[in-house]
Amino acid sequence: MSMNTTAPAIRGQLIKMVLITSSAVLLLTVTSLFVYDFLTFRQNSVQQLDTLGRAIAANATAALAFDNADDARNVLTAFEVEPHIAQAALYKMSGARFAAYSSHAATGEIPTRLKPEATGFHFEHSSLVGVLPVTEGSRRLGTLYVQSDLRAIYDRIRLYAGIVALVVCASGLLAYALSRRLQHRISSPILALAQMANAISTRQDYSVRAAAAGVFELDQLTEAFNHMVGAIQTSEARLRVQLGHLSLLQHITSAIGERQDLHSINQVVVTTLERSMPIEFGCIARYDATSRLLTVASLGVASQSCGAQLGLLPGAEIVLDENGLATCLEGQLVYEPDSGQVPLPLLQRLAALNLKSVVMAPLVAEKTLFGVLIAARREANAYTSPDCEFLKQLSEHVALAARQAELNSALQTAYDDLRRSQQTTVQQERLRALGQIASGIAHDINNAISPVSLYTESLLEREPNLSERARSYLTTIQRAIGDVAGTVARMREFYRQREPQLSLSRIDLNVTVQQALQLTHARWSDLPQQKGVMIEVKTELAPLPAEVMVAEGEMRDALTNLIFNAVDAMPEGGTLTVRTRRVKPEADAAERVHVEVGDTGVGMDEATQRRCLEPFFTTKGERGSGLGLAMVYGMISRHSAELQLESTPGRGSLFRLVFAAAAGVAPAAEAEPVIFERRPLRILLVDDDPLLIGSLQEVLLADGHDVIVANGGQAGIDTFAEATRSRQPFSIVITDLGMPYVDGRRVAAAVKAAAPATPVVLLTGWGQRLIADGEVPPHVDRVLNKPPRLMELRSALRDLTIPAGPLKAAGGTSR
Amino acid sequence: MPKFVRQAGWILALLLSIAARASAPDEYQVEAVFLLHFTQFVEWPVQASDAQTPFVIGVLGRDPFGSALDDAVRGETVKGRPLVVKRFAVAGDLKPCQILFIDRSAVSEADQVIGSLAHSGTLTVSNVEVPAPADVIIRFLNEDRRIRLRINVDYARNAGLTISSKLLRPAQVVGTIPAG
Repeated sequence: MSMNTTAPAIRGQLIKMVLITSSAVLLLTVTSLFVYDFLTFRQNSVQQLDTLGRAIAANATAALAFDNADDARNVLTAFEVEPHIAQAALYKMSGARFAAYSSHAATGEIPTRLKPEATGFHFEHSSLVGVLPVTEGSRRLGTLYVQSDLRAIYDRIRLYAGIVALVVCASGLLAYALSRRLQHRISSPILALAQMANAISTRQDYSVRAAAAGVFELDQLTEAFNHMVGAIQTSEARLRVQLGHLSLLQHITSAIGERQDLHSINQVVVTTLERSMPIEFGCIARYDATSRLLTVASLGVASQSCGAQLGLLPGAEIVLDENGLATCLEGQLVYEPDSGQVPLPLLQRLAALNLKSVVMAPLVAEKTLFGVLIAARREANAYTSPDCEFLKQLSEHVALAARQAELNSALQTAYDDLRRSQQTTVQQERLRALGQIASGIAHDINNAISPVSLYTESLLEREPNLSERARSYLTTIQRAIGDVAGTVARMREFYRQREPQLSLSRIDLNVTVQQALQLTHARWSDLPQQKGVMIEVKTELAPLPAEVMVAEGEMRDALTNLIFNAVDAMPEGGTLTVRTRRVKPEADAAERVHVEVGDTGVGMDEATQRRCLEPFFTTKGERGSGLGLAMVYGMISRHSAELQLESTPGRGSLFRLVFAAAAGVAPAAEAEPVIFERRPLRILLVDDDPLLIGSLQEVLLADGHDVIVANGGQAGIDTFAEATRSRQPFSIVITDLGMPYVDGRRVAAAVKAAAPATPVVLLTGWGQRLIADGEVPPHVDRVLNKPPRLMELRSALRDLTIPAGPLKAAGGTSR
Repeated sequence: MPKFVRQAGWILALLLSIAARASAPDEYQVEAVFLLHFTQFVEWPVQASDAQTPFVIGVLGRDPFGSALDDAVRGETVKGRPLVVKRFAVAGDLKPCQILFIDRSAVSEADQVIGSLAHSGTLTVSNVEVPAPADVIIRFLNEDRRIRLRINVDYARNAGLTISSKLLRPAQVVGTIPAG
């Protein structure tokens, strides 16, 4: 507050006003009196002189009429008794002075002539001059001149003025002294008020009140001032409370904002309320709409003992309806100022602990009741309406935060799922790419080893003079080539794309189990050994073939997956048991085949058991796709089989696949016919690999066939067409599948277009996959895998070139 | 004082004295004015015929005033009554009048006239002494070229006239003035 100290004070103003007022009044009064006195005096003087003059004039008539100057002088001498008459004279009608009179104090001259017309009164300098007619009856006889001296009067007026000035000064001094004394009564209460206002504004203490001054207006001012201070005090207190609430709200909301999970949000709310609001008991209960029950979710730190006594520890349930909380459902805050007065169970329980004031604030977000915030204080009527308003606002914030936390968690779950599925997709894509690479490699390996295989077989068969050692070496080479081909085939199997369609075939599960164990050998044997862990594998196979109708690849995949899981469950090592059994549960029931994969690993708890079949559920973290068991389950479902799971945490798990046993007896495996057909054939051999084509040509030539080779697809088609035109047709065409520009399919198509009866054999490094995928192309009569085995080749040639019915016996796959 | 101023003063004083003497009224002119002035200082007894008759100033004997009296009264009135001058050569001619000036030529008849006018309300005036025992009410006295008045209040009372005290004050009074 800036104060203009040069501004005049009330005190000075009042004194000035009083002085000015009193002086003005005094001056006005005195002046008017003076003016009145002066005018009256002049008028009186004139009247007096007139009267006097008339009397003298009346006496002087005879003297004038009868020309008696002595008498006239005598008459004028009568003025002696009037000392202020300085001079007088009588004039005849002719204007000539007749008689004159002068007092001793007279000054100036008496006019010697005076015209009779010049009558009247006038003031000259310090005198009054009267000229009066002298008449007797109706006759004018002369003129009287009288001069009255006013100096004495003026002296008296001057004296008066002096006295008045003195009186004015004296009264001014008196007024100053009095007003100085009296204004104190006005200005001191105002100054006191100003000082108090100043003190209040500097100290911020609004509890002080100004005392009454005893003056009506000032008392009113003081009263208004006190009232204003009171109002400021009230609103200041209210502001402080609201500020406190705001700061608390801000504190809590920022604390909430730092937290994501519901429990810690609830906990921080209740604990902060306990500490800062403060409250004696606070808890948050979650609401379940279906059961209409409130479940205590969080309890303040200081409220734990109370909660225990109340039976309101986390997990305790509160029935909504019987506790008057139904209004909370509508989003309304419930405030009971004295819980003892309300006959509701919850409030009675609180009252028993002497918690009288209870606020139950609903946590409502998006019109859904999440729960209820219960805040209790010991004293009755302990919550003001700003408190309630604050709790209501807080509960809205908490509800929003709770809702946010839920949404956040849902979002997190969705994100996790998405990430897993993306990882799976990436992994599948990687597998697919790997599969393609593997296919290419397999093709190249098969091409590369084809001459080796063919020559070895040919040598063993056609050279009876070989030494024992050479024969032994060749046999080893042949076995090694077979192993290489097998490995390549398995590798292809391992990486091949999954086909959606199901083609069931009769499979002996004993064999499949063996294959699966072989395929997974690295996982259960080599890798654990590197880490110094031993996994013992026990294989208990059914004594008879355990034949079922399944898609063989899927079956093998399922077993592989189960074996992987079993190995993963035993990071410290253990026993892997793979078992097949034929089971006939009842006498008249269908026979079943069980396949069991068991481990002695960590086992699964109930929750994991419930969820382990869900896609993307994994306990292996980054290593797992979460798809293994899901695929197993999918395979089981497609085969109308059954999956049983037995697991004990810490003891291990057992997966059991239950299949219906294949009906009937398996057809006997077809014996490999060993027929050396010597019927020479005219064969067109199409390939782009000179090594393969050379070896194959030599082998076939050795068998006595006429072999024409074409290097590449287009060359093959041209050669075939040329032969047809020159009437030297080919008995059969053997073509490679994968060739640049014109592949085996087009060659086959061209051959069939030119000569539909001519059989076509397709050689392929992908042969197995083609068949399994149902991709046997049109125009192809037989697909042979690389490396081609001499026996298979001969068999194909024999089968395809026999024109009659026994051909039917041919078919099936190489396996 | 310069010499020429003093000479001019003398010349001026001489001229003024000549003018004063030339215009100075003679005795009868003054007396004629006095006769007129008496009408203001004297109360005549009221008579019924006053309204119809003029106020008459009579001159008994030879008229000494010439035209002076006529000049003085011309146009004058007394209480609304016209003022006229009447001349009576002898006492036998005498008619009622309010003021009667008895000239020295008629002094011989004064005693008789005054006797006849004793209660007629006529103010008798003369400028000469009337033989005793008779007397006029007012007599002009010439004292050192100034006209003075001698008033016989007894005669005035007898004549029924009231003489103003103002007139009495500058005059020489004969007779007794009643007290109060």
